[in-house]
Amino acid sequence: MSQNIAAEPLAPRISSAEAEALAARSGLEQMGVRPPLRRYIAQVWERRSFIWNLSASRAYSRNQGSYLGQAWAVLRPMLDAAVYVVIFGFLFHSSAPGIDNRAAFITIGTFTYTLFQTSVMSGLNSIPSNIELIRSHRFPRAVVPLATVMTETVLFGPILVAMVVIVMITGLLPGMGAVWPTWSWLTLPFAAFLLAVFSSGLAMFFARVGARAPDIANAMPFILTLGRYASGGMFMISAVVPDHLWFKPVLLHQPVAIFLELFRAAFGNESLIPMTPGLWIEATAWAVASFAIGFLYFWRAEETYGRD
Amino acid sequence: MTENIDVEVDESNLPRRVERRPIGAPSVIVDDLHITYRVFGARRGGTTQDRKSLWDRAVSLGRPDTGPITHVPAVRGVSFVAHHGESIGILGTNGSGKSTLLRAVAGLLPPTSGRVFTSAEPELLGVNAALLPRLTGERNIIIGGLALGLNAKEVRRSVPDVADFAELGDFLYLPMSSYSSGMASRLRFAISTIRSPEILMIDEALATGDASFRKKSMARIEQIRDKAGTVFFVSHSLASVRAMCTRALWIDKGVLVADGDVDEVADAYHAYVEGRTDASSGAKLS
Repeated sequence: MSQNIAAEPLAPRISSAEAEALAARSGLEQMGVRPPLRRYIAQVWERRSFIWNLSASRAYSRNQGSYLGQAWAVLRPMLDAAVYVVIFGFLFHSSAPGIDNRAAFITIGTFTYTLFQTSVMSGLNSIPSNIELIRSHRFPRAVVPLATVMTETVLFGPILVAMVVIVMITGLLPGMGAVWPTWSWLTLPFAAFLLAVFSSGLAMFFARVGARAPDIANAMPFILTLGRYASGGMFMISAVVPDHLWFKPVLLHQPVAIFLELFRAAFGNESLIPMTPGLWIEATAWAVASFAIGFLYFWRAEETYGRD
Repeated sequence: MTENIDVEVDESNLPRRVERRPIGAPSVIVDDLHITYRVFGARRGGTTQDRKSLWDRAVSLGRPDTGPITHVPAVRGVSFVAHHGESIGILGTNGSGKSTLLRAVAGLLPPTSGRVFTSAEPELLGVNAALLPRLTGERNIIIGGLALGLNAKEVRRSVPDVADFAELGDFLYLPMSSYSSGMASRLRFAISTIRSPEILMIDEALATGDASFRKKSMARIEQIRDKAGTVFFVSHSLASVRAMCTRALWIDKGVLVADGDVDEVADAYHAYVEGRTDASSGAKLS
């Protein structure tokens, strides 16, 4: 071994072809290759309690370290909604003609968009911010974006309750129509579930993008603000956008607008926004399509996550 | 035996020398493995990057004092075959690519090129496992166990054992951020040893905690080691490598420079380190 004191590279003792043949003969499997889709789905399903525990713990630790703690989960969208209610509910009140309660209209839009927005943002950052976890354990990487969206969904529970309370309070504001509880409120959790499924798909899609190009995290807030307006968070697309514009049907039927519509219909306090089966079908279709595409797109790069 | 570079482990803490076991079928085959890290920015001017494409220049426009993406090749073409019954030490100076190689073989770092074949899922036993500082020790044990692939029931059953082993006491129910660094690394060690895998990888796990815990963790490692088929072991301590291993790989600047019986390789490595005057090793940038 004395000839190696100068640390000269050692010639490989085995060629690639020999290595492959030996591996096949001894029944070894290659590491770091993407598993077939079916097995991958099974692996993710097996790790469901990991997803749940990770997201529940994250949800809990999220708002620690501030005096108001968990209350911030509800306070943040409330403050958001207050800003939009003042601007679009009272100052520019032609934004939603025919709507009895513009404040409720805007509140529902803002709160609902929050779930979508936070899911996409945290999905985008999920791989870089969990790189330590990814580099110390082996598990199907889809666990990471799925757990982050589930964190947002868990946190959306109290937000949904707060939304119901605030919407009822807006009925007491001057010039706003009263809001009475209806049976359709019971469909709100299902609407939230569909939105969570839809957002998971997007989160997985953007998780792959964000893992490769962290720059997108800087551009994303602008895209999401644009999305807030393009989805009619605080105005009625059908009334505000002129009929002759070719992209009006796109704006009306794009998924986020559909989900905002679905939540507003579930409150059932506006005669202009009726609850129709078509709305549920459209929302379900978007949710399933988004989840399937996001999952496939994420899986296609499974072997690359954790690489710098 | 003179040990100048070994400061962590004294003789009494060394593991009992592993007995040589019959060598069985291949368990790990590494074929021309390359790992390259991608680093954003840094390193403009100076050093070796001379080929600048239009794209590179465009990318670095917004960052006047840094360069574009730099590629750091940490492992450059390593091939070897490991068998059942072997304990393999990986030797090398700081930054020579030992830990990167180990992580790649464990399947945690995707190779830039090349392949790794294994007979079972290797497990990396380390003191760097990811823990969430805001959560309690108990929660971290649960998440760590689930990440290792245990099911929910097994994890809940293992919580008292792990907490006991890590000597946490009542701190089990406090957030990790309140732990001393020794406590945190004890917990990491305890979590990563929940399972005993067929292919075991140990990354500098011996330097954990105070003397009494080191003794305890040595015993635990020996116990897992005896059950495992193949053991990989990375350490700066030549004495522990000699004691733990039957074979050694020596890596320098990302390439394999020696592969053979542990005593021969360790002697050659020792002579090399002694004779070396410049301390700047590290990965070679291309």
